Amino acid sequence: MTKWYGYYRPDGQVGARNYCLILSATVYANSVVERVANTIEGAIPITHDLGRCQTVSDLKLTFDILCGLAKNPNVGAVVIIDHFREAYCNIDEMGEEIAKSGKPVYGVNIREVGGAIEATAVATRQAMYLTQELSKMKREEADISQFLLGLNCGTSDTTQGLSANPALGFCSDRIVREGGRSILAEFPELMGAEEWLTSKAVSPQIAQKIVDEIASYEQKILATGEDIRGSQPTGDNIVGGLSTIEEKSLGGAKKSGSAPIIDVISNGQPVLNKTPGVYLMNTPGHGAESITSIAAGGAQAMVFCTGGGHTIAQPIMPTIKVTGNANSWRQMKDTMDLDLSGILAGEITLEQAGDLIYNELVEVLSGKLTKCEILKERSGFGISRAGLSI
Amino acid sequence: MTTKIAWVVDEAKDNVANILSNDVKKDMVIPVTVKGEELQIKVSADIPYGHKVAIKPIKAGDTIIKYGLSIGRAIADIAVGEHVHIHNIEPLRGRGDLAAKEKGCVC
Repeated sequence: MTKWYGYYRPDGQVGARNYCLILSATVYANSVVERVANTIEGAIPITHDLGRCQTVSDLKLTFDILCGLAKNPNVGAVVIIDHFREAYCNIDEMGEEIAKSGKPVYGVNIREVGGAIEATAVATRQAMYLTQELSKMKREEADISQFLLGLNCGTSDTTQGLSANPALGFCSDRIVREGGRSILAEFPELMGAEEWLTSKAVSPQIAQKIVDEIASYEQKILATGEDIRGSQPTGDNIVGGLSTIEEKSLGGAKKSGSAPIIDVISNGQPVLNKTPGVYLMNTPGHGAESITSIAAGGAQAMVFCTGGGHTIAQPIMPTIKVTGNANSWRQMKDTMDLDLSGILAGEITLEQAGDLIYNELVEVLSGKLTKCEILKERSGFGISRAGLSI
Repeated sequence: MTTKIAWVVDEAKDNVANILSNDVKKDMVIPVTVKGEELQIKVSADIPYGHKVAIKPIKAGDTIIKYGLSIGRAIADIAVGEHVHIHNIEPLRGRGDLAAKEKGCVC
């Protein structure tokens, strides 16, 4: 049985990284967060433009995703910063939610401590002590049943549905066979793939849930009265040969392999069910948003297939980028991790490519850095929202 | 497995093949394997890497089939060997414009 080595958290989850997270509760804490994270060795800043003047359901979604990131086992400790007081997105409510994981959480309110400079000093000092505590931790043995794999793709092209995505499907199947779980998201990019997905559903009820939730997303798209062409497939997809959303979806859905789909969960919610298998998460197709939601769901690492080549990487969830397109590998190898062009060159089988991904994953889970982690490429961050700014 | 210039995913059902070469130019004849039989298809345009070519005659309104499933419908007649892409096929899913037309609203 394959082993990997990670950091055990108080709630029993195992992290592949040991980050101190510096977290903005609202947009107006961003600069303080950046100052603190710039000072602290290894700290990860999470800044965003939300947390205020959103509809209540969107505020709750922002809250869930930010708290989910903080509860991800890759995070060992958290400093939250807010500037005054908002509903949901404040240091008290977020701190209480994150503390349920048992990990240390500290909050700094900029106004309360005397302004931005004082807040920077207080938060930096807290983060320093937390980072020192984290530095004493050692990686310990874990097995694949303690791993939740994120599946995503972007800047997709024709090669993906034929090579990288089905290879990732083989890898996901292997993870599931060894007791692990995986998350497939991006619901608008599953439109047209219902027949394929429902054939993997663990029960007729889950098959119906898959169909209903994709249809519900499609209804929101239809309500715009707009032609989806121009948005989906995206410009890079079209250059890469994908002509319709259905074609993109059928290729994309191959990432989850042939393992059973156990459930459909809401955007940004933790995957609490431990049953090995595939979980669908209802997120947008927007890559930065979907991978952030998957990280909030608790995935410790992600494999991101990109036929066209991509820079994307989630700040707290190592994002292993793979391509089956030899041209894209040549052009984009600075931010890509695995070249799977051997599949279409007839040099390796899909299953062998799946094993290459699996081996890379196990190494990354145990501490090997992805290229994007080394380069501090963190462009894969986004928080979904449904409604207006108000 | 060998390198193919054109790959048909579901050989029983698909009416398009995927070009996996940077060198497919107008009037070239390319081999396409379908159910053990090698078809010789003359392409009527330069077809970029990753794009599709028709391997069966397709009428406007016909379903375009890849992976054995629908990827949309033809908006023009498409002859064998023609480039199949956004200029001659359209998606049917997520089409707010079609939904708005059906409702008769002026959007």
